[in-house]
Amino acid sequence: MATESKAPVSSVGPNYRPEQQKPTATISKEVPFENVHTLPQTPQLIALLTMIRDKNTERADFIFYSNRIIRLLVEEGLNHLPVVAHAIQTPVGRQYAGVQFQGKICGVSIMRAGEAMEEGLRNCCRSVRIGKILIQRDEETCMPKLFYDKLPEDIADRWCLLLDPMFATGGSAIMAVEVLKSRGVPENRILFLNLIASPEGIEKFATKFPQLRVVTAFIDQGLDEKNYIVPGLGDFGDRFYTM
Amino acid sequence: MSKALTVRPPSPYQPPWADVCIIGIAGSSGSGKSTLSHAIVSQLNLPWVVILSMDSFYKTLDEESSRKAFRNEYDFDSPSAIDFDVLVQRLRDLKAGRRAEIPIYSFAKHAREKETTSIYSPHVLILEGIFALYDQRVLELLDMKIFCEADADTCLSRRILRDVAERGRDIEGCIKQWFAFVKPNFEQYVEPQRKVADIIVPRGVENRVAITMVIQYIERKLIQKSQSHRAALKKLGQSSEDDPLSNKVELLKDTPQTRGMNTIIQNVSTSAEDFIFYFDRVATLLVEHAMNNVYFKEKIIETPIGNHYKGLAPLGETSAVIILRAGAAFETGLKRVLPDCRTGRVLIQSNVRTGEPELHYLKLPENIDTHDGVLLLDPQMRSGGAAVMAVQILLDHGVPEEKIVFVTYFAGRLGLNRLTKVFPGVKVVVCSIVADFEERWIEKRYFGC
Repeated sequence: MATESKAPVSSVGPNYRPEQQKPTATISKEVPFENVHTLPQTPQLIALLTMIRDKNTERADFIFYSNRIIRLLVEEGLNHLPVVAHAIQTPVGRQYAGVQFQGKICGVSIMRAGEAMEEGLRNCCRSVRIGKILIQRDEETCMPKLFYDKLPEDIADRWCLLLDPMFATGGSAIMAVEVLKSRGVPENRILFLNLIASPEGIEKFATKFPQLRVVTAFIDQGLDEKNYIVPGLGDFGDRFYTM
Repeated sequence: MSKALTVRPPSPYQPPWADVCIIGIAGSSGSGKSTLSHAIVSQLNLPWVVILSMDSFYKTLDEESSRKAFRNEYDFDSPSAIDFDVLVQRLRDLKAGRRAEIPIYSFAKHAREKETTSIYSPHVLILEGIFALYDQRVLELLDMKIFCEADADTCLSRRILRDVAERGRDIEGCIKQWFAFVKPNFEQYVEPQRKVADIIVPRGVENRVAITMVIQYIERKLIQKSQSHRAALKKLGQSSEDDPLSNKVELLKDTPQTRGMNTIIQNVSTSAEDFIFYFDRVATLLVEHAMNNVYFKEKIIETPIGNHYKGLAPLGETSAVIILRAGAAFETGLKRVLPDCRTGRVLIQSNVRTGEPELHYLKLPENIDTHDGVLLLDPQMRSGGAAVMAVQILLDHGVPEEKIVFVTYFAGRLGLNRLTKVFPGVKVVVCSIVADFEERWIEKRYFGC
């Protein structure tokens, strides 16, 4: 993956509008992995991301606009869960060949930033169970280290929505997946929901866990020498928790 | 009034308030014109019959005339005191179905107030004033001309009572005015209007036969208007069932989640709690989708760590207009996406007997014509009559077609094709397409009654 390649710029807007009437913006990088799903690059999504990336955005706005993107991510993520046919009758007596959600789910947030996504998840799935995993960088080895986890006991029977807004090197997300797998969750029942990812992290993750699905709003240009996502948005946790 | 209102090409849709039926009621001061008008309006008891008093069109007085007016020496009873030019312009606006700003005249200041009252969408307008049948240009706009008659002593006594009680004058001043202005003007200008009147009504409000006649005339006019409105709606944007949808119609992607939510929403045995939860969820998604149709500009921002990103920002403000009652079911979804969205409301109800959409109430955000996008919300669209009417209302208030996004949950192809054929610039975001004449049941489920 050519990290140094230019970020893709494209005109964005509804199909019926002529090209010259659409503004252009930097859109998400394309990646060649079937298990990575990027949200449609609509002008509204780009505008929301612009809001949360902007250093001049006020705290309340940062939280509000992040939550709007998270809701869209959750809605997209839930599409990857299985459904079964379920025919019903409507209040006006019409038949509808519908579907029913199948399987139990749970959220797992990677502390602390991942917890910011819990509200968005609960907005779509009321009373969903939420497990937590705390992973910190070890001061001595500079490697991610598992400090704490609290997960539903029957997690092996559930679909797991793993929550972490920023996905840079992928170190802690990889460790979190290992934790889930060690509790018996099959790889293909883990969905990783993420706001902004680096192409490096995505590549590492997608190759290491080919059956796990990633749903992200945006794949950025790359990482800088400090392993920050470029352009990114700064420290998500600090901004969301207004530190 | 904004310019946009006057340069817009005529819309193919003629709402029932276009070609408003105007009834002129003239007669001497104190002859019972205004009592008669009010009697007619209260007996009809319909929101689309409106009285316009010519008192609103008194000219603003210059300093000298104003001093005279305070001394009761200004001639308010001569045609020259009335601003016929403005009156004719406003009547023409109303006749064309547009909104008209009516001046407010202050008798205490002898000047127009800064504020105006707007009149929009009456089907019948009663123009009442001593010179309602005076100006040739006004006469050309009238559908019925009435002249009220009463004995001079009745008129004088009524006038004294009214002016003392309502306009802060004394008896002596009233009598002085009567002989100096009212009487000579009556003879010279008011009385000759009898000749152009269609009916002359003696004894004013006591004249039951005359009132009944006028009411019957108006009722007949209203029935005609309703019939031609329904016929026009039926013909409007007609399409065959398999006509392709316009590219301005965007359907929510058919994903397992939307199917699943639609199943819960449509299932007759879903609890009210679940219905509201899932409807709000879909409504949020619909509003998010609708927001892709507003306009954006490019914006380069700097992140907290000093990187730059070439992104987008909304060009301007997006407001919303809810088509009541059903549209209010979208409010939770709307506020999740745009919490501080200016939200106007229109109450359009289909007449139970005729099925004709009727406008009962209207309150739009001020300066809605300057907004960059206007979302029009109604969860169900059948034949599209209410949608077409609501779009027409926005156009009449200066919102360009291209800035309107109609958001709905259920729609029939007939309605979608009608709306996009009549107003090709309007965008539509819809969750699912159902049979054309599915009953409106979403609102009943959402509000529980």
